[in-house]
Amino acid sequence: MVDVAASPSDAVVLRRDEAGPAGAKPRHALSRRNIFLYGTLIVVALYYLLPLYVMIVTSLKGMPEIRLGNIFSPPVEITFEPWVKAWATACTGLNCDGLSRGFWNSVRITVPSVLLSIAIASVNGYALANWRFKGADTFFIILIVGAFIPYQVMIYPIVIILREIGIYGTLTGLVIVHSIFGMPILTLLFRNYFTSMPEELFRAARVDGAGFWGIYLRIMLPMSLPIFVVAIILQVTGIWNDFLFGVVYTRPDTYPMTVQLNNIVNSVQGVKEYNVNMAATILTGLVPLIVYFISGKLFVRGIAAGAVKG
Amino acid sequence: MAAAIANPSVSIQDLSLNFGVMSVLKTLNLDVAEGEFIVLLGPSGCGKSTLLNCIAGLLDISEGRIFIKGKNVTWEEPKDRGIGMVFQSYALYPQMTVEKNLSFGLRVAGVAKDEIAKRIARAAEILQIEPLLQRKPSALSGGQRQRVAIGRALVRDVDVFLFDEPLSNLDAKLRSELRVEIKLLHRRLQNTMIYVTHDQIEAMTLADRIAVMKGGVIQQLDAPQTIYNRPVNRFVAGFLGSPAMNFLKGELETGATPTFKGDGVSVPLDRYQFEGDGGRTAKSCVFGIRPEHIAFGDAAKAMPFTAESTVEIVDPMGSDTLVWTKLAGQIISFRVEADKTLRNGDAIRIGFDPARASLFDAQTDSRL
Repeated sequence: MVDVAASPSDAVVLRRDEAGPAGAKPRHALSRRNIFLYGTLIVVALYYLLPLYVMIVTSLKGMPEIRLGNIFSPPVEITFEPWVKAWATACTGLNCDGLSRGFWNSVRITVPSVLLSIAIASVNGYALANWRFKGADTFFIILIVGAFIPYQVMIYPIVIILREIGIYGTLTGLVIVHSIFGMPILTLLFRNYFTSMPEELFRAARVDGAGFWGIYLRIMLPMSLPIFVVAIILQVTGIWNDFLFGVVYTRPDTYPMTVQLNNIVNSVQGVKEYNVNMAATILTGLVPLIVYFISGKLFVRGIAAGAVKG
Repeated sequence: MAAAIANPSVSIQDLSLNFGVMSVLKTLNLDVAEGEFIVLLGPSGCGKSTLLNCIAGLLDISEGRIFIKGKNVTWEEPKDRGIGMVFQSYALYPQMTVEKNLSFGLRVAGVAKDEIAKRIARAAEILQIEPLLQRKPSALSGGQRQRVAIGRALVRDVDVFLFDEPLSNLDAKLRSELRVEIKLLHRRLQNTMIYVTHDQIEAMTLADRIAVMKGGVIQQLDAPQTIYNRPVNRFVAGFLGSPAMNFLKGELETGATPTFKGDGVSVPLDRYQFEGDGGRTAKSCVFGIRPEHIAFGDAAKAMPFTAESTVEIVDPMGSDTLVWTKLAGQIISFRVEADKTLRNGDAIRIGFDPARASLFDAQTDSRL
């Protein structure tokens, strides 16, 4: 036993005498790995940012400056005229009140659609995950198959249905259409999230006497902020950027922003006002961008909070 | 099986549970006396947790009835059954403080505020979690979380406590500490407790009676010592006890005295207490003897049966040492004190009292 005990301590003494590497391994800023890593990241970032740069720069120039053809050069004389015009006075058809009308239409479409679809889909997902009823799996499969059917197939039948109900061409009709089409993917999202939550939590709540809505509102909902943020991002971007349903199911005075943008940019009369077009496009894209920046932060925070074992 | 209990706290009658074609629990009967601590013990998949969930009302049963406090609760919701349940993963609501966790069930039931406060104060005092009341579960250690989970059952002021492997997520030290606490809690509250575990130490130390389960059937329901000393079949014998019981294959021979004949070994069974007329007919059988019932050295000489053997392997376990040797051509183990120094190949003398052994039918595996 003595021999065995002595030998490791000898080894320690030997190692101390050596002038070998010790402590944290040094890192070089200009190592091959770093050059590759950051080089690639910079190139990719430039690739994506360059078009955005061109758009912003162009939207701040006057038409004479644009005609010079230097699309990459910054504006000599910054003007916000195109932005004002795009928002307030650009003409589409008979209306000359710019994108503002489309913006408010889009808000009135997106907000109720997002709230309605998420409210229904989260309850759907919760019921499918926790209250296994007979035929739940079949129901779920049918719902998911819905996600794979091309929208174009259903456009005309839905037109007829909306017409028969008498809400064709109204914002209500479009809100309902958006809510229905969001259902498969959102239900899948919520069902999978609720399935991943510990089963015993649900059982404990049942022993405590909470019912279907009690468990949903008081136990599940407070724990699912991350997935709600994901659903909101998904729905806001999807519905705001939607063009097809907007153009089919609404009328010119209820057109969403995307349709109106198209009508401004693709108008064939007069001069092509690139600066106005750029400003209008940025304005339209701003909402999903802002939503992403705000909730993206929340999203990360939500994931971090969820990672702590409860 | 034990005699019928007069006023059972929990009574399970002919309970069956099928998932599709798979039968998980098979016409199960169990009566639990008032204030009794019953442990459902068995390997994974034996249906013990399923049975507990059926009692709790979290699973709908296929056949049979469940009575709690004389009331038929077969179709009742969990909250109406007068039960409190403690889960393996604690299942605390992560967004609520400990206090809110404890009071959730009471708030759902609409209990008055001062009554809630009173019950929480009592539970917190019993479980010594008063300083933790304003914390979130994420700020608690495993042992503290499990205490809160027990508290949640406690505040419900129920007749029956159900524990679903409550200590399995804890480390060994905490596990033994909380085990003692649960035992003290039972002594203080005198509630009926049904406790599911796969840990035989927990079962032996906590239970008034143990129900050993396998394949959805209760194999044996009895006091821990009876199950340990007189297991009804080979499964129960092998499942309880660590290190496990030694089994020797051989033949039962009848005659003036029944004898177990192994390979070159014959053990007289005149002192062995047969079940019924198990010793009357000759048949192939399995002889079981626990490692702690085998004596060694001088102590072995006093035993009714002795044999010479050699040491094969020595396993020091700290408190004692497990020695592996051969008897009747088969490997067996026995325990010696830790200070005995034995080396591989040492010639030794072992012995045991056949009265402490268990004899099983080789075909049916049931006790002879």
